[in-house]
Amino acid sequence: MTKPMGVNWIGLYTMIRREAQRMARIPIQAFVAPWISALLFIFIFGYIVGGRIATIGGHKYLEFVLPGILMMNIVNAAFIQSSTAIYFSRFIKFVEELLVSPLSYVEMIFGALSVVVLRSTVTGIGILFMGMAFGVTHMHSWPMFVFWVVSVSTIFGLLGLIVGLWSKSFEQLNMPVVFFLTPLSMVGGVFNTLSMLPGWLKYLALANPFFYFINGIRGAMIGFDEAPPELGVGLTLALMASLSVVVWRMYATGYGLRE
Amino acid sequence: MPTPALSVSHLRKVYRSGTVAVEDISLVIPEGEFFGFLGPNGAGKSTTIHCVTGVAEPTSGKIEIFGVDAVKNYREARRLVGLCPQEFNVDPFANARQIVDWMGGYFGMGAKQRKERIDYLMERFDLIPHQKKAFRELSGGLKRRVVLARALINDPKLIILDEPTAGVDVELRRILWRYLQEINKDGRTILLTSHYLEEVERLCRHIAIVAKGRIVREGTKDEIAGIPGGLEAAYLTATGAEPDHVAGE
Repeated sequence: MTKPMGVNWIGLYTMIRREAQRMARIPIQAFVAPWISALLFIFIFGYIVGGRIATIGGHKYLEFVLPGILMMNIVNAAFIQSSTAIYFSRFIKFVEELLVSPLSYVEMIFGALSVVVLRSTVTGIGILFMGMAFGVTHMHSWPMFVFWVVSVSTIFGLLGLIVGLWSKSFEQLNMPVVFFLTPLSMVGGVFNTLSMLPGWLKYLALANPFFYFINGIRGAMIGFDEAPPELGVGLTLALMASLSVVVWRMYATGYGLRE
Repeated sequence: MPTPALSVSHLRKVYRSGTVAVEDISLVIPEGEFFGFLGPNGAGKSTTIHCVTGVAEPTSGKIEIFGVDAVKNYREARRLVGLCPQEFNVDPFANARQIVDWMGGYFGMGAKQRKERIDYLMERFDLIPHQKKAFRELSGGLKRRVVLARALINDPKLIILDEPTAGVDVELRRILWRYLQEINKDGRTILLTSHYLEEVERLCRHIAIVAKGRIVREGTKDEIAGIPGGLEAAYLTATGAEPDHVAGE
């Protein structure tokens, strides 16, 4: 009999190293594209349009929108990284390299999510620097900022894995971005406060999870909260836990992975 | 009785589409054996291999690799196996060295150990001039060498080769045969599927013939091939084809 294995740290590190090498092959797609998109948002909505808007809660409009723009890009980076990586590896079949290796399902998921957090963090740091160039990057609470970056990346990394495992075509892979991520993030309070919305839209916004993510990171950056932070943190942790269970179950049963 | 390298008991595999790929396969491969697994396309050979290595989920049955349950203790079981698949399931943008290196990493091999082993395999399969080229730029034969090197990175005790010489030139075939005979002599167990009967006859000591998801003939090479017409006649008879008719074509 063989000795039971502990955590396969080298295997986990290899997953991260491999994806980092893949990202290095596609820097424009992985980093330059979201940075340019963020820069355009900052410039047009924050700088040009925002110049005509009065302060919000004592903050310049650009200071107000920067956390939302940052969060939108973190969400996109996380989702695209995990969904395309798993889908492409299924499509070309090199996911079988993982399946025949002595990696547990938890290690496979953890490895995929570590890469997601890495990509989101690099994307986020770039946007923070852009904010600095405009003199609008502030940090009210670093621990809460790190919490929101890591937890939201993880949530959308998990969602990306679900979609990447479920998709049978590139068309299906892109559906959630078009119909779900972009619209919900746009109406999640990136450009406006809750009080700017008419009554019925206010309730809709409160039912949108993006509102809590954007509100959370805005609170961490400029200390401006429109909902109790504990509520956002609680919802985020609950969402992360339930999605983790779903993804673990998909890996354990081989859904989309094994024939 | 010593623990066999591979023990498959009443394996059945039904795909989600409802296709029964493996009806009922049982086999025992002792340690150190060179085992040939023959059968026509769609007989269930690759599916059996996929179930053994974790690429496919068995519907029922039991698989043990050196006594380790391949489903319940899959991590321990996978450590003992190296798979060279039929298809090129490789990141086409990565280079040959990266592909083999990542696999070594997945198997938990440290950087120094990986480097030594990769250097050895690159040398052994004449890949040194091609190791930094992207996989998609390599010829079919070179691609096959990379996939073979990847399967052997962890120096597995059980090596499963699913049509490893399909579409490769005589030179590689000979390099591979020599290498397989050498590592088998060193005690490695090999399970080989191939459509080249002369290859199986040359290398394997024990042969199983599969048809329609079941083993229809199994025995030593001498038992199976020691009839008039040799292994080809035995194969055609076992799989339900007409040897004389085919020979006369």
